[in-house]
Amino acid sequence: MLAIVLASAIGILVGGGAVALVFRTRRPEQSDVPDPTPPGGRALTPDDEIALALREAVDHLEIGVIVMAATGRLEYRNQAARAFDGTHVGVIVAEEIEQILDEARNGRQSRRIVEVQGPPRMWMAVVAEPLPGGAAAATVQDVSERMRIDAMRSDFVTNISHELKTPVGAIAVLAEALVDEPDPDTVTRVSEHLVIESHRVVRTIDDLLRLSQIEFSELGQEVVEVRALVATAIARGQAANRGRDITVTAIDAGASIRVRCDRRQMESALGNLVENAVKYSHDGGVVQVRTRIDDHTVELMVADQGVGIPARDLDRIFERFYRVDKARSRVTGGSGLGLAIVRHVAGNHGGDVLVQSQEGEGSTFVLRLPLSLLVTDAGSSSATDTPAAAPTTARTHEEAPS
Amino acid sequence: MTAKPDTRADFHSQLDEIQTGIARMSAGVTELVPRATDILLDMDLEGAEYLILGDEEYDGRSLRLEEQCFETIALQAPVAGDLRSLVSAIKIIADVERSADLCVNICKAARRIYGHALDANVRGVIQKMGSQAQVLFKEATEAYLNHSAVRAAALRDMDAYLDDLHRQFIQVIFESHAAGALDLQVAVQLAVVARFYERIGDHAVNVGDRVRYIVDGWVPDIPYPESDNDPPAMLPSTED
Repeated sequence: MLAIVLASAIGILVGGGAVALVFRTRRPEQSDVPDPTPPGGRALTPDDEIALALREAVDHLEIGVIVMAATGRLEYRNQAARAFDGTHVGVIVAEEIEQILDEARNGRQSRRIVEVQGPPRMWMAVVAEPLPGGAAAATVQDVSERMRIDAMRSDFVTNISHELKTPVGAIAVLAEALVDEPDPDTVTRVSEHLVIESHRVVRTIDDLLRLSQIEFSELGQEVVEVRALVATAIARGQAANRGRDITVTAIDAGASIRVRCDRRQMESALGNLVENAVKYSHDGGVVQVRTRIDDHTVELMVADQGVGIPARDLDRIFERFYRVDKARSRVTGGSGLGLAIVRHVAGNHGGDVLVQSQEGEGSTFVLRLPLSLLVTDAGSSSATDTPAAAPTTARTHEEAPS
Repeated sequence: MTAKPDTRADFHSQLDEIQTGIARMSAGVTELVPRATDILLDMDLEGAEYLILGDEEYDGRSLRLEEQCFETIALQAPVAGDLRSLVSAIKIIADVERSADLCVNICKAARRIYGHALDANVRGVIQKMGSQAQVLFKEATEAYLNHSAVRAAALRDMDAYLDDLHRQFIQVIFESHAAGALDLQVAVQLAVVARFYERIGDHAVNVGDRVRYIVDGWVPDIPYPESDNDPPAMLPSTED
């Protein structure tokens, strides 16, 4: 007598298409872990072996597979489906799966997306399909990444048309107003607006071009003093200050640190960070730029004590044109591409950019570059040197801050 | 109940069902907390309406679960661990249901302060309190689900941080009001909101205490009167 009989194998179309299997087990107790040997010690028939191999395969699928018997009892869950057991997410998803399987047992194929509040926010796609004999099978899959990309893409299209159309539309209207305007005062006023709006489009297009250049152009290989980079960035920050009495200071400005990088890209990235920090600081605030080396990275840290970023916007601010506060951004006059540029520059150099922020307390951005970019005093990149050379530099630097 | 020969199996599946039901309700409330926070910060009136209407479901669920507990206690006469877990279940259900109500209250407060901009400091602390309350409730849910007395015991320390945030929030409200950035009305509403979050944390701690009681019979170290007739005047208030 066979304990496990392969009842049927059906394909459920989910994404790339996965195969869901149904097993009817005659054992009274429910077991999540498949028992590879049938009881009784009887030799396996070829059918048994196929069934076992299939069960093994399903058990290791990346997507969760759940089978409910016609009685409403959960008959089988593969490893992926069990992965979230005992957690908050597991409880939420299990409830949805049970509901959707009940619907499927009544002959209705259904699909829904379960959202679990973060952090990090997750989306799970649950699909259920009726099986012959009143049973049902469901698949569950983490689609968070896809949802995020979808949101990013659709927002990008909306935003880019908004960013370009709004000023161009304004220019058209202002120009029309000028055509038959006899009053010289009005002409002056309208012209001023025309200039402002034109500059806005030019800035957006400039940034867009710079971004695509950064994306596709060859990376420069200059040896740059970090101190010089920081000084340039601070100068840019002070230009954005405009009498708001914001102090921009450098701490451990990295006198001895030199890195091999694309100077223009790096200046642009660090400059963007410092300019942002100044823009979003309160009057009289302090912006700090700090340089640090540890065993793995060269870190350029820009910290402000300004308005901060709401928690739920944090993972989206590096998207192009993403704006936390639409109204304010128009006043401060950014193109909405600054942080996208920063992220690309960091990525081009094999590093990344991190952010930590609290509304009302300010934000800290960290531009991290791999230690391999560090140029030691011997004049060659440490990528070709022994890695041990790098921490030495870090120590000298800490002992004698500039 | 269907007539089954195997009564004990039936009993254990009843216990499982109750536990799953409570875990689901509790996980649901864990989800409500960040939703309520977003609603408050975004002034999302539609979201508030949804959340407020959704509360009926939690009321219904809690009644059903409570009834299941009574029925099981009455019909199965459980003892020891099973009895502890059923009696505690009744209390946990009340804590969870009450927390759902508190989320509803936050949404109602969001409606009352609609149209008043909140400055970044205030928003920051609301966000912090909201996520800490959520973390507490999630931890309580998972401790209950996994019968983990250790995780449950950590809840009291986590709650201390939430209490700190509560004080900090009140301070920020005073400052913001003194700076003229906050109407008195809004300030009062926000003070109440701070209290709601703080209470959600307390309910999570209560759930944690109950989990410890279920797992190893632990009771809080409070002197309680010897005689049944003594009024429990010496009991410290559980409010704080």
